[in-house]
Amino acid sequence: MKLWRNNLLHLAKIIILSILDALAVWSATILFTEHKYIFLSVLIIVTVIINFIYLSKKTYALRYILPGTFFMILLVVYPIIYTVYVSFTNYGTGNILTKPQVINQIENRYYLPEDTEGFSFEAYKLPDQKEYAVLLKNEEGKLYLAIEEKVTEVTEADSRFVDQDNDGKIDMIGNYEHLDRAQLFKNLSVLQNLEFSLNDNILKMKSISQFSLYRQQYKYVEAEDKIIDLKNNISYFPQEGSFTSPEGEKLMPGYRTYLGWKNYFTLFTDSRVSGPFLRVFIWTFEWAILSVLTTFVLGLFLAILLNDKTLKFRKIYRVILILPYALPAFISVLIWRGLLNTEVGVINQILNTLSLQSIPWLQSVFWSRFALVVINLWLGFPYMMLISLGSLQSISGELYEAASIDGASAWQRFKFITLPLILVSLGPLLISSFAFNFNNFNVIYLFNEGGPPIVGAQTPAGGTDILISYTYRLSFESGRGADFGLASTVSIIIFMITAVITWFNFKYTGALEEVKENV
Amino acid sequence: MYRKQDKKTKIFKHIFIWLVIAFALFPLVWTLSAALNPANTLINQKLIPQNASLTNFKYLFNNTQHPFPIWLWNSVKISFITSFIAVSMTALAAYPFSRFKFRGRRNGLFVILLIQIFPQMLAMVAIYLLFLNIQEVLPAFGLNTHPAIITIYLGGAIGVNTWLMKGYLDTIPTSLEEAAYIDGASKFQAFYRIILPLARPILAVLFVLQFIATYSEYILASIILNSNQKYTLAVGLHLFISDMYSNRWGVFSAAALLGALPIVILFMLVQKYIVHGLIGGAVKG
Amino acid sequence: MKKFVVFLLVLTMLFSFNALVAASEEGKLLIWADENRIKVLDTVKDEFEEEYGITVEIQEKAFGDIRDNMAVEAPSGEGPDIIVGAHDWLGNLVSNGLISPIDLGDKKDDFYPVAIDAFSWGEDVYAVPYAIESVGLIYNKDIIPDPPKNFAAFETIVSNVTNEEKEMYGFIMPQPDPYHTFPFMSAAGGYVFGTEDGKLNPNDVGLNNEGAVLGLKKLDSLYEEGSVPFVDYQTMESLFTNGQVGMMLTGPWALPALSEAGINYGFTQLPHIEGQPPKPFVGVQGFMISAFSKNKILAQTFLNEFIANKETMTALYENGSRPPVYLPSAEEAADNPDVAGVLKSASDGVPMPSIPEMASVWEAWSDALELVLTQKQDVKPALDNAVAQINKAIEASQ
Repeated sequence: MKLWRNNLLHLAKIIILSILDALAVWSATILFTEHKYIFLSVLIIVTVIINFIYLSKKTYALRYILPGTFFMILLVVYPIIYTVYVSFTNYGTGNILTKPQVINQIENRYYLPEDTEGFSFEAYKLPDQKEYAVLLKNEEGKLYLAIEEKVTEVTEADSRFVDQDNDGKIDMIGNYEHLDRAQLFKNLSVLQNLEFSLNDNILKMKSISQFSLYRQQYKYVEAEDKIIDLKNNISYFPQEGSFTSPEGEKLMPGYRTYLGWKNYFTLFTDSRVSGPFLRVFIWTFEWAILSVLTTFVLGLFLAILLNDKTLKFRKIYRVILILPYALPAFISVLIWRGLLNTEVGVINQILNTLSLQSIPWLQSVFWSRFALVVINLWLGFPYMMLISLGSLQSISGELYEAASIDGASAWQRFKFITLPLILVSLGPLLISSFAFNFNNFNVIYLFNEGGPPIVGAQTPAGGTDILISYTYRLSFESGRGADFGLASTVSIIIFMITAVITWFNFKYTGALEEVKENV
Repeated sequence: MYRKQDKKTKIFKHIFIWLVIAFALFPLVWTLSAALNPANTLINQKLIPQNASLTNFKYLFNNTQHPFPIWLWNSVKISFITSFIAVSMTALAAYPFSRFKFRGRRNGLFVILLIQIFPQMLAMVAIYLLFLNIQEVLPAFGLNTHPAIITIYLGGAIGVNTWLMKGYLDTIPTSLEEAAYIDGASKFQAFYRIILPLARPILAVLFVLQFIATYSEYILASIILNSNQKYTLAVGLHLFISDMYSNRWGVFSAAALLGALPIVILFMLVQKYIVHGLIGGAVKG
Repeated sequence: MKKFVVFLLVLTMLFSFNALVAASEEGKLLIWADENRIKVLDTVKDEFEEEYGITVEIQEKAFGDIRDNMAVEAPSGEGPDIIVGAHDWLGNLVSNGLISPIDLGDKKDDFYPVAIDAFSWGEDVYAVPYAIESVGLIYNKDIIPDPPKNFAAFETIVSNVTNEEKEMYGFIMPQPDPYHTFPFMSAAGGYVFGTEDGKLNPNDVGLNNEGAVLGLKKLDSLYEEGSVPFVDYQTMESLFTNGQVGMMLTGPWALPALSEAGINYGFTQLPHIEGQPPKPFVGVQGFMISAFSKNKILAQTFLNEFIANKETMTALYENGSRPPVYLPSAEEAADNPDVAGVLKSASDGVPMPSIPEMASVWEAWSDALELVLTQKQDVKPALDNAVAQINKAIEASQ
């Protein structure tokens, strides 16, 4: 802790900052040459902010927060913004490409005119250049030479043809050298895009052994923003993300486009959303509360037991009890699903050997919910145990000693010392755990896909569906499949609901933030 | 806890723990049984399978198409690096929230928590597009690279963990840093030399939490990583069960159990840091 | 801190070296396939690389991920050149503009017409098909020597063989599973989408018509009297493999595991209902070319010359037990009784609808099956409600 070490730290800071700046400048040149101006401006702004924060004294606290915040903005906030953007579009099945991509794809559609011809061909290439010549022969044996963007009829006696080994095959055309089959393959990526025009038709490669005459079917007219079908002479105008003819016929594929508030409107007016809403909302609440309560109570209790230094085998116990958390949740849920299989699952078999009735774990609403809470308890208690164990370390042993001297019982010590202190640091985690379970799509979906179904339901919202699982289902397993626009809208609305609940939670347990500083 | 416990309470404690252990191990025992069963089914099996064998485990290590050991190593590597950086960033971020007075302190903390609870259904698409662009500038962080997936996981580094860390730091008395300032330490040195060592238990907890979260993540890894050699364990495991008509439960169970080993080992290594906190002994409030 | 910085620097350097990116690159083919196809493709790949000096890279993806990841990755130019998939993805992939038509040339006549039809959309064909599949009746010859031809005989056998105490079952099928249940509902006239001008009409759903109700009622009577347990696919397969089941309803994908387990099985058509043959969904699988491939002609050549030949097609069949649709391979395979059984079943089947609206159907239908077969609701109201849900979902998307 001598003064010179401060200078060293300062030096390290400057060096790191300069490396970052150098990297930024280097990236900026690449972005500039690639015309990515949006990214470029973001990069510049970010770099300036970083420099400011680390050089200005006023922003001292931010220096600590910045690294984590940087990644959070890049990888969490940016996707949120993207989600908001998507919620105003029709992005989804049938409309996933951008408009230029769609125009490009449609313009590249050709049809074979009635008088089309097939040509066998030989390709030639200038050495060391991507310049090609193609010698074509039609079915009648007429020869055409496509070279330097022009096609002309030629005869075998053309002066440019060279047959070096006199085998009847032309080995060179001017300086262009013949490509054998292997070379042809290497050059395919360019050859396949060569287009020549011949008698109003387009001469294009059809397959590895053939060229053919084509005609372009569609043409985009930028001034009028429409696509004309040149073959049938119909105009298609943009309408909600598809080029549509006056008769209502749509050209596939459609493209992504701005829809305004349409997705929000759909979500709020669709009876399929509002119908089961209340039922699902109540269960979502119950589910989230039960999940947090059961896991926390068990986790905390175990943590207190295992924190006792006089308890034998506590090390082994801790390791075993962390095990459920060591398996990825999607695996554990599948395993539980197998164990709870109504007909042949292990659990029902055990019940049967005890002469008890089988329980319809997956078919009854009550038992499905019950099983889910138990599974989630299994999945979640080690987490609660871990964080409780960590937080318990901050409670001074002297507090307990003092309490013991005053004659407090174990329960009193827990109630008046452990719990309040633990809640100071864990309260926010419990609230966020509530929010997490409120949207715990994975467990619900993997266990029973939201089932069992409910008789007479207006929409396939099952007995264990929570808000997010049944609304996502509306956007992914309904209509024409994946509707990312609607799904984004769902995300945003559900986020708002969760945010409000979280805010209330904070407000009513609000003392949390104030009880602090040196307990 | 500082009084002598009577025997009854002790026995009761052990019985209770044993009950929870039975609950925790119950599905795992059946998973093990499936892993030892060469017949590859999860249901309708006996606890000790007939002709139990290690076939499924051998398959994992002798299969070039599904290089399980590589997946395991990838996951351990990615999770370790991610956790290391993420815990550093969390510790840094939590410190000023606990110690410094600055504008937006309260709201900042709340916003960090709120942002992390946004249902990220579309993150997959957005992040894919982001890395497509990053790839052009920094190929080392492009698609199908481990640096890319590590970077992605770092996005979730500060969130609820910052609260956990802050809550812990709040209980460490400021008098310690004040003493260090008098000795000529800078603010950062006081943090780095005095506070961090005291926060070791919570750092260890954060490391384990982050490690496990990273280790089991599937969706983002599956979209960013594209080749057998780069897959993480979770993505690889998913391959085993994705084809509903050719499920290989035995292999899957064996892989899941072996996959849990690194986490168990990690926990065994760090648990002494978690429970042997310095607070309460060395430091007085 | 210093250590940390050094650590980071080393890390960055280490990683910069392995920045290999796999994407559709010019002059290189990238294929996405699931694990069943990979073995065969690997050998074909070597031949192709040797003959033309073009690199072929094959990436293993979970079957369902192939379709889903296409939507994200293909438009960015990072996707594959060729994918392996099922014909019912066609509506999704084509309406998203993700795949291009294929020019089969003269080879078109070398395939079963039904396979070509399944992969046709408008005037174009979108895949080199290689296999066909449909469900049928798989029976254990040691328990049931003579499989039933009609539903009455079927019922008798089921109730004779089923013995809950001995854990023996006459018949099992996966539930709730619309795909597997469809043949019962279609036999007497049920359908998913009606046809109009040769196209499927998403506004005409026939899952609650008389035929569908009748078929499901017949099936339900077996569940109601407790002769058939309500189990999922996994359970069905393990029970059958254990020799506890007389007959099960599923497709050729289940067969390799059965031979492995030494079960003496047969594959035949499902029993007729009211004299009508059951019409299972027919699925066709094939190789498609990405619309964003930079090597379309190369991909086309690879498919026409290295996939659409007898050797590869036979190898694909032998690795997956689904009947080949490439005629020269199919003729050879037809001697196999399994293949003959699947083909017989498929010959009365209908192609699984490939229009994107099919997405609205599965969930509602599956819910109805569960409610009916677990005896919570009668057949008619359950199917009526399912169709109402489906119609609503389709309307909302139009």
